[in-house]
Amino acid sequence: MFNKTIFKQTVKENLKLWLIITLLMSVFCALLIAVFEPETISNLSDIIKGTPLENILEQETFLGMIAKTFYSIHGVILPLIFIIITANSLIASQVDRGSMAYLLSTPIKRSAVVGTQAAYLITSILVMVIIVTIIGLFSIHIFQGDTAVNITDYLLLNVGLFLLMFAISSVSFLFSCTFNLSKNSLALGAGIPLAFFLFKLMAQVDDSLEGFKYLSLNSLYDTNAILDGGSYLAQFTALTIVGIVLYVTGMRIFTEKDLPL
Amino acid sequence: MPLIEIKNMTKDYGEGQGIFDINLSIEKGEVFGYVGINGAGKTTTIRHMMGFIKPQSGSAVVNELDCWKDSAEIRKMIGYVPGEISFPDAPTGTEFLKRQAELLGLKSMSYAETIIKKLQLDPSANLRRMSKGMKQKTAIVAALMADPDILILDEPTTGLDPLMRAEFTSILKEEKKRGKTIFMTSHMFEEVEQTCDKVAFIKNGKIIAVKPTDEIKHHEDKVYRIEFTSDKDYLQFSSEKFEFANKDESKNQVTLNVNDRQINALFKALKGYDVKSITEIKYTLEKYFKSLY
Repeated sequence: MFNKTIFKQTVKENLKLWLIITLLMSVFCALLIAVFEPETISNLSDIIKGTPLENILEQETFLGMIAKTFYSIHGVILPLIFIIITANSLIASQVDRGSMAYLLSTPIKRSAVVGTQAAYLITSILVMVIIVTIIGLFSIHIFQGDTAVNITDYLLLNVGLFLLMFAISSVSFLFSCTFNLSKNSLALGAGIPLAFFLFKLMAQVDDSLEGFKYLSLNSLYDTNAILDGGSYLAQFTALTIVGIVLYVTGMRIFTEKDLPL
Repeated sequence: MPLIEIKNMTKDYGEGQGIFDINLSIEKGEVFGYVGINGAGKTTTIRHMMGFIKPQSGSAVVNELDCWKDSAEIRKMIGYVPGEISFPDAPTGTEFLKRQAELLGLKSMSYAETIIKKLQLDPSANLRRMSKGMKQKTAIVAALMADPDILILDEPTTGLDPLMRAEFTSILKEEKKRGKTIFMTSHMFEEVEQTCDKVAFIKNGKIIAVKPTDEIKHHEDKVYRIEFTSDKDYLQFSSEKFEFANKDESKNQVTLNVNDRQINALFKALKGYDVKSITEIKYTLEKYFKSLY
């Protein structure tokens, strides 16, 4: 199910993109933490008192702010880009180009090839989120020393982000395993995760569009529930199950399908 | 028990595409040529042998192991040159070969070096910018370097110049001497003729003939082209009782089909003529092949 040599080579081949995305995420995370000023919010609250905007900023905290910015946009879209490109290049693009023939003319089992690629995708996202979490903790310590931050909640935001990315990557990986052509793998493997992202955004714009959230896997990453002490365990579990099921399905499909190599 | 055996194998892609009821058996130490035009089903057959695709019915067996179920096990014995050369992302040929050796669990690159030298390849070049021939050579090195018992080569000489093709032929002969079993596809008839012990012809997904190469080369029906110095001789000879395949008045040339038993009669007849040249037109696989189509 796993091959160390392939893992090493895959890490090498995808290192550049991974580094760029991880770096960008770290920078955005640190910046958004650095620019937060508790006064800004209290000032704003004063200004909009009595207007319809009031409940939007109601009880806004530092983590609430970070959740609405980094953990809704930057921190989601950046790993998404990494996942879309990498998932396709791990399997479908190699089959499409025919270079997979070299991997599969060695005595390494197909299941080991696909298992290793899946392991790489999961590990790379995990390490990415861990690095960003650490950068975030440092930034909080440096820039927000005076603000009261619930570290457990902050960590939970990151756990949730990882689980969301785990589930999203399983979608892209499944299609990468299914299709022999990059264009098909990308059409669904990139299209669906992007649609999820946009649907979630839509749902937040207006109450009348709230229904869109039921069309998005991203809704299972409910930052409000995490911060307001709502229930999030069920959603986390769901993301985990979706991820596991789709990864396993993808691996199975790849192991049993005909390869034009 | 043959080393490679394909039994009643069918893979129907619809609209006449695919392979149908293929039967082949290749003995250990044999060099087996697989000839057919593009789209005849050569690569589909090879993909089954490599375990890349699953037969609809029938089976391919290598060393008593099923090519689909035990594909990883079988690949320990096989070196493969794919028909389409597309390398993984690696900066140079050397780096690619090094990575491939890692995947194969190969400790020493000494055999790779030997092949590289013979093919006069400079693997340190940028892998993407390599010429077709260089890429092909790199693919050949990758297939041979683990010194596998079986070589499966899908049009291995594509892109090689005639000199390199000759060098490649001599490498194959050496591998054969070392007891290797070789299965290669080609649409270059000369190449198959020079290297292979046996040739199978495939057309529209069906095997139409399997023949030892010797049998084709030592055919008794021969074709000669004779050129005469003068028009007069040409005209006169044209009325002799031979089987003329072609007559070319402008060059004073005739082309004759002659069985070996008639050869003395031909020479006797030619005695009275002023012959400029006489050439045997080799009865090639190509011709044999064409007569089958």
